[in-house]
Amino acid sequence: MRSVTELADIRPADLPSPPRHAISIVHTCSRPNITSRKLAEIVTHDPVLTAELLRVVNSAFFGFRTKISSAARAVTVIGHRALRNLALCIAMRDALRSDAILGFDINQYWETGLRRAVSAHKLGAEIGLDADECFTIGLLQDFGLLVLLYLHQDKVHEWERLVQASPDERQELEYALFHATHDQVGVQLAESWDLPAEMIQVIGQHHASLRQGLSEEDERLADVALCADWMASVFSAQDKRLTIPRCQAIIEERLGVGADRAIELLDEVAEGVEAAAEALNLKVQSQVSFEEVLRQANLQLAQDNLTYQELTWRLENALRERDRYASELNRELELAREVQRSLLPRDGRACPGFHGMNVSAKEVSGDFFDFLRLPDGRIYFCIADVSGKGMNAALLMAKTASLFHCLGKGIADPGALATMLNREICETSVRGMFVTMVLGVYEAENHRVRLVNAGHLPVLHLGTAGSMQRYEATAPPLGIVPGLQYSASEFGLGTGTLYLFTDGLTEARRADGTEIGIDGLLTIIRRNRELPPGERVRRIIEQVQRASATVADDLTLVVLEPAPGSDDD
Amino acid sequence: MKYDVAMENGYAVVRLQGEVDLHRSPEARKAILGCLQQGHHTLVDLSGVQYIDSSGVASLVEGLQLARDQQLQFGLVAVSEATLNVLKLARLDTVFAIQPDASGFPGPA
Repeated sequence: MRSVTELADIRPADLPSPPRHAISIVHTCSRPNITSRKLAEIVTHDPVLTAELLRVVNSAFFGFRTKISSAARAVTVIGHRALRNLALCIAMRDALRSDAILGFDINQYWETGLRRAVSAHKLGAEIGLDADECFTIGLLQDFGLLVLLYLHQDKVHEWERLVQASPDERQELEYALFHATHDQVGVQLAESWDLPAEMIQVIGQHHASLRQGLSEEDERLADVALCADWMASVFSAQDKRLTIPRCQAIIEERLGVGADRAIELLDEVAEGVEAAAEALNLKVQSQVSFEEVLRQANLQLAQDNLTYQELTWRLENALRERDRYASELNRELELAREVQRSLLPRDGRACPGFHGMNVSAKEVSGDFFDFLRLPDGRIYFCIADVSGKGMNAALLMAKTASLFHCLGKGIADPGALATMLNREICETSVRGMFVTMVLGVYEAENHRVRLVNAGHLPVLHLGTAGSMQRYEATAPPLGIVPGLQYSASEFGLGTGTLYLFTDGLTEARRADGTEIGIDGLLTIIRRNRELPPGERVRRIIEQVQRASATVADDLTLVVLEPAPGSDDD
Repeated sequence: MKYDVAMENGYAVVRLQGEVDLHRSPEARKAILGCLQQGHHTLVDLSGVQYIDSSGVASLVEGLQLARDQQLQFGLVAVSEATLNVLKLARLDTVFAIQPDASGFPGPA
């Protein structure tokens, strides 16, 4: 057979085809206007199938109360829907011969497939759904696994692993092995067999976290299919200690069936599988009872206790290893911190009037500031805050700082520089990371400032007479909208002072849980306005730290306050 | 933080509630990205958000960028005043599609 590598490659012709007569009964039963007489006529066309259906209908498992001896009677007594479900079970059973998969006895599959179907049958009866329909859905949802093996016959040796995995693990394992999961392939098969749309939705979505377009009853059916998957895995999973409580929790959460009742239902599964196998004339090995499963789980627990001492020894070793790695990591972090420090302006004397300070919340910071004296005497300055914390923010910070320092020397207009930085960051940064930044140029001889505020907190301009002007962001942060043009605005600084800061200062929270906010920061700034600017920066940061119960973020503050009479410095 | 997800007008709507801060935004991020990764056009309902910090905003931006890469629609609905103030401060109100409710969006193509 053709080898299939991706779900999208699967063609209807690759999938097992159902026995023609059985599937035509499934289709006929689904037609809304079909009469029972007509249906009985169609069923009796195939005497072998008729005999088969009557055997199933009269079996102990499906147990309809009265003995049914003719197709016509079967149709009227059990109804169209039940007949459809039974015909579908027979269609699945006969779709693949027991030797259709090279080196794999399909009866092995039926053992686990029937466990799911019987579990669904039990759960359905428990919560008042049509138990036979649940049985069919249980069988059909898992049938996708058999189809996956049929399509990937080189992977049959993985059977044991697939069976021993819990439903969550199995989804992942299926994806790794087949690039598709049993529910996805189940949907393809159901579509190629032209099964009713609601059945397709239920099997396709029983594992989905967000289900769409299901009626309330189908939603319950999908939950039954999911819970049946867990019940069956209790019998086959390798780690039974973990699987049993998880299975109980999921059944309680999805179906509202209590943990003790779940155990009783599990206890009935083995017997049910034998009866269902007999009804469908399938050969399964004698079933493992739930009592045996519990015994194995207890044995696993006992073995764990025996190895407790070994575990302690391993734990001690692991802790020693961890300490060794931690000290290595600290050394690496210290190096990273040093690199970051080197990116901050080392000597403020080249840029008179500028004062800045950065205190990082973690070993490395996502904030930075810089001043840069251009050959014509003007001074470029910036403050920036990279979204996120930790090493990824620190790396983007280092990149942005380097770009600013390097490109700033050649691009005199802050708007053009911001446009260029935005382009670079958009092209290369990780999704969800961006940089809020203020960048500007200060001309000392006429005290004029040209600046761009890209999504950053407002820049505060405090006049000597107590006036206050805010320069709010005029464009979004860098790294979000590719190709955006940023433009700068210009104003005179006069004898005033410019304050640039990051949100660590405003989002710091007081003991009562309230944020310091811009107003709170302004109060602290005004309280310290008489101090020399360098000292003032330090005191403001100290006072924010003292006022706040917790500081979760980096704190960065830049002040531009030209010394009196330093116009042409 | 609490959140729930529901389908509305063809969109997966992630309804965030309470405070979306450094500790709680990973959950919000997971919910938003989860819907997009499942291929749903996604809206984030922020009516119940009393506080959002930069990490919460970063989760919204990441949603926007993932949606753009996957060619899915992404937008914000019923944005609370507290959240809108934060978005406006960073001029992010110009970046996100914002509507009073899901019916304000055209519906998936």
